[in-house]
Amino acid sequence: MNALSRMARDTMTIARRDFMAIVATPTFLIFLLAPLIFIGFGMVGGMGGRMVGKNADSKERIYAVLDGSTARQFAATEKNLRDLFRGDSTPPDLILVKPQNHVEQQARALLAQQDRDVPAVLYGTLERPIILRHDENSGSAAYLAEVAERAARDRAAGIDRPLSTPHFVDVKRAGSSIGGTSATGVFAVTLLFVLTLMLSGQTVGTMAEERSNKVIEILAASVRLESVFLGKLIGMFGVAMLFIAFWGGLAGLMLLFVPADAFAKIQEMRPAIGLPAFGILFLAYFTMAYLLLGSVFLGIGAQASTPREIQMLSLPITIFQMAMLGLASASVALPDAPISLIARIFPFSSPFAMMGQAARSATLWPHLVAIGWQLLWVAASISIGARLFRMGVLKSAGAKRRWRRKRDREVAATAP
Amino acid sequence: MTQELALEAHGLVKKFGGKRVVDGIDLSVPKGAIYGVLGPNGAGKTTTLRMLLGIIEPDAGHRTLMGSDSPREISDDVGYLPEERGLYPGMKCKDAIAFMGALRGLDWKTDRTRAVELMEAAGLGHAPDMKIRKLSKGMAQLVQLLGSVVHRPRFIVLDEPFSGLDPVNQERLEQLVLAERDRGATILFSTHIMAHAERLCDRLCVIAGGKRRFEGTVADARAILPMRVLYEPHHDSGDIAAILPPDARREAEGWRFTLPEEGIEQLLVRLIEAGHGISGLSIERPGLHEAFVEIVGRKTVEEMA
Repeated sequence: MNALSRMARDTMTIARRDFMAIVATPTFLIFLLAPLIFIGFGMVGGMGGRMVGKNADSKERIYAVLDGSTARQFAATEKNLRDLFRGDSTPPDLILVKPQNHVEQQARALLAQQDRDVPAVLYGTLERPIILRHDENSGSAAYLAEVAERAARDRAAGIDRPLSTPHFVDVKRAGSSIGGTSATGVFAVTLLFVLTLMLSGQTVGTMAEERSNKVIEILAASVRLESVFLGKLIGMFGVAMLFIAFWGGLAGLMLLFVPADAFAKIQEMRPAIGLPAFGILFLAYFTMAYLLLGSVFLGIGAQASTPREIQMLSLPITIFQMAMLGLASASVALPDAPISLIARIFPFSSPFAMMGQAARSATLWPHLVAIGWQLLWVAASISIGARLFRMGVLKSAGAKRRWRRKRDREVAATAP
Repeated sequence: MTQELALEAHGLVKKFGGKRVVDGIDLSVPKGAIYGVLGPNGAGKTTTLRMLLGIIEPDAGHRTLMGSDSPREISDDVGYLPEERGLYPGMKCKDAIAFMGALRGLDWKTDRTRAVELMEAAGLGHAPDMKIRKLSKGMAQLVQLLGSVVHRPRFIVLDEPFSGLDPVNQERLEQLVLAERDRGATILFSTHIMAHAERLCDRLCVIAGGKRRFEGTVADARAILPMRVLYEPHHDSGDIAAILPPDARREAEGWRFTLPEEGIEQLLVRLIEAGHGISGLSIERPGLHEAFVEIVGRKTVEEMA
């Protein structure tokens, strides 16, 4: 058996043990279902927020104190203008009120209502409207002014119906829109980051078990430390993939229940490289990000001798990950800036930055180069981690090379 | 005719923080032998064993294990029970043994079958599915030993295998060691309990202060000290000390002294003529314990105690 296949065998033995030791425990169920807590609280918070928002919206009104034909003209123009707005940007409902003797006092009273929010009230004429407002930057006040302007123009021109009858033709985009690829890039980088943040940090404490129960001595006597490190990393990666498969499957099922208009928005997110290649690259870059960051955290965590030391490491680890997200985000936002190139080359931000690149560029070969480069760093990180462990914990240098062993033999043979 | 060696080490040196913990140790372990590495606490036994196995690298010197100068390359042929016992507490016994076998190249299925067989042979037939955390210390130690031999290694290293075991489990462990030797394995074990070394070892070496102080058979070690005489007189009157050799000491059972170079006969004649008579007489070779104390130095042994 050659060294490589033996290393693979040893690595998989360690990985299998670690994977089974984690998955076959009740704690794993808590780990697997932990996002439910996040989703549950998110939903409760979201629903609460929406209800508060809706409540506030339903209590917001704008008023126009007008009568007769002026009021009718104002209402017709306002209806046409309101159709241009969608969703949250829609102005508050307009209430038309007949003027009384003291119009200004009436308008001020409307603005000062206590049972609902009234950001603006219009009175006067269409040509010279007076608009009361609480805030000089009030969009509602500007909206009332614009309605008055258009209503005045329509009345002056004698227009009482739309002059143009548009015919809309839906044409599907041949390629990806800039906005679509950018949104895809941001979404993919964020998802990649969140998954890596949640899962790779767990590798930091994996050597602690072996150190505390002294199994490390048996492992160190049986297999190369590099196999131990890589095996532990792969075992944890298997757990991470199980987690992703579970939640990915659930997310896929939930897509069946997404409303058609929301699904259309999801379909708008088209990566430049194409969806199948993008999916494969996402998996590849998740693997790379996990192995790269995981190997660093594993190497650092292996130096810690107590759970307290491991806990203390969680903050710098999170900060390091946030820094990588910052680099990758800058790369997505400024794809042609030098920072983008740095983010793609720096090994620990490279998977994130390259994911962003996959969203906006159809060229495949840079990804092959990047994955090769990242793999090289995975190997280097594991090797450095194992070396530090050997020196710091086992108090030994690595195995001697063949020429050193030969020289030592010769020296010993000539010794008295 | 030279004996074929399973292990050969020359001039092994290891320094920790500038201190030479192992200082030029040579070892030659014949194939098929049970070889003991004896020494007081802190003598450098464990460090020596770890160097022999390639867990740590020597700062100087070299070793050849089963013909290979890189012990890691032949680790599938080696079994190892470390001084600090290590098992995963959440594992079942048979899985723990199978895992250790898998680390040495056995497939898990064969491992599990062998694990159950070995446990039955070692009197642990009731425990294959028990979790390690539920075992007594002695049982856990036996499980770990089984894990270190499940792959039928040609070379077995046991670091202080008897420490912490009750006499029943010590006996079981001795039987296991002998069975492995009978299978053809070479066994190297460290201990500071002389009784085990005396019963088991074909050859042994004594290490103290990082240096090798003795190498040979148990008989060679015991031969370092002269024969001792225990003499019980009929009449133990005042002038008997003048007849006995100068090193004679009165003990509970009688007088103990070194066998004179010219033999015991002349002395016995003088004692009988003086009317002391002979109630009891034994001439015995000192045990390994006394030899060990002599080799290592009484001061070191007292420090160890």
